[in-house]
Amino acid sequence: MSRDRIRGLPRPVGNPQTVEDDLPGMGPSDCAACREELSAELDGEGDPARRPAVRAHLRTCPACTAWREQAAVVTRLTRTAPAEAGPDLVARVLPSAPRGSRRRVGARVALAVVGVVQIVVGIAALVGLVGHGDGSAMLGGADMAHMGHETAAWNLALGTAFVAGAWWTRHLAGLLPVLGVFIVVLAVLSGLDLAAGRVEPDRVATHAVLLVGFVLSLAVARSAPRRGPGPAPRAVAGPRLGEDAGPDSARTPLASRDDLGPVARARPPRRDVA
Amino acid sequence: MDDAVITDAALAARDGDRAAAARFVELTQQQVWRLLAHLADRGAAADLAQETYERAFGSLRRYRAESPARTWLLAIARHVAADHLRRRARRPVAPALLDDADEPLGAARPGDVAEGIALRLAVDALPTDRREAFVLTQLLGLGYAEAAQVVGCPIGTIRSRVARARADLVEGLGSTTTAGEAAVREP
Repeated sequence: MSRDRIRGLPRPVGNPQTVEDDLPGMGPSDCAACREELSAELDGEGDPARRPAVRAHLRTCPACTAWREQAAVVTRLTRTAPAEAGPDLVARVLPSAPRGSRRRVGARVALAVVGVVQIVVGIAALVGLVGHGDGSAMLGGADMAHMGHETAAWNLALGTAFVAGAWWTRHLAGLLPVLGVFIVVLAVLSGLDLAAGRVEPDRVATHAVLLVGFVLSLAVARSAPRRGPGPAPRAVAGPRLGEDAGPDSARTPLASRDDLGPVARARPPRRDVA
Repeated sequence: MDDAVITDAALAARDGDRAAAARFVELTQQQVWRLLAHLADRGAAADLAQETYERAFGSLRRYRAESPARTWLLAIARHVAADHLRRRARRPVAPALLDDADEPLGAARPGDVAEGIALRLAVDALPTDRREAFVLTQLLGLGYAEAAQVVGCPIGTIRSRVARARADLVEGLGSTTTAGEAAVREP
């Protein structure tokens, strides 16, 4: 076994201990480093920079040369071994697959319906009101007829917002504060008016449509796929690997290579090692 | 590879597409099962694979395709295997009986059986870290970068673990490999 130092053969990054342990009887650390590189080459993950040093070592080390052949045989055996097949699990696991969509679609349809109802309420109020102002009972510079027009305009606007939100769901979140404030203020005032006998319960009941629309908007907005961090596995939170980023590589910036140590070459297509 | 297809299926499944969920399972279940068979135990692999998919579907809503869906799924399978081993260590049970349903679907050629079994035993005798790295890269065909992502370690660690696993196997399979080599050299 050669005791010659392999010139220029770098030690494996992050594993200074690798070379000493777990290779009983393999001799000096050079052999372990050499074999690690040989092993990587078998997987198409070799580092071309280390290649010359490894070749130089192989010329002087028959043990490593023999090891390379044995390792190649083991690799070939592994890859040509009959593939073990597990049972088909589709039917067993499918019940736990997300079914969010159906509920979400239901909520969107319901929201659109509520929007249409709200629009109808608005139009009905408008038709009933047009031309009925009598000029009495001014309030804040407008007579009751004009107050009615303003109310009708609001009802129409909210109905349209529900229908639009059911279609373009991404805009719903922006609508929620407006709706929320409107409903809270309206609920408090309606309560006071009801207590004071200033409004018929029937009229207040029409506001329930708004409330239902608000709840549905909330449901649709919340059921949208969230933008939080990925789930538990450490791998997801681990160092971002520039290579093999797959389909999302266009969406996410590639990690800097500097902190990754040796970056593996792209894996060449499988070839037989024999 | 089919990584893009698998990730697309996962994203569609996340949004409630049941057919995509089924496709996601079909495309990945063999790899999940094999990983679990080697990391935990063969008899429980089917149940553990089911648990893996249940966990994956449970957290799919938070999956943002930051890593390929297959890598993400295999990382979950790895946790399921670790939890299984922890559970088993806490209360030892009788060894699981081999279920017919767990037997391979494809028939092996008779000549391969002995070699295959020797190899399987040798692989399953490896220390956990090395076995994990070896199974991911050799039996599942992952690249070092992908395997590192599944395990959550640097690529260099995978590299050295695979090399050490190979060294162990070379030693453990000494006689078999010689026979194998002889067989290979025959025309």
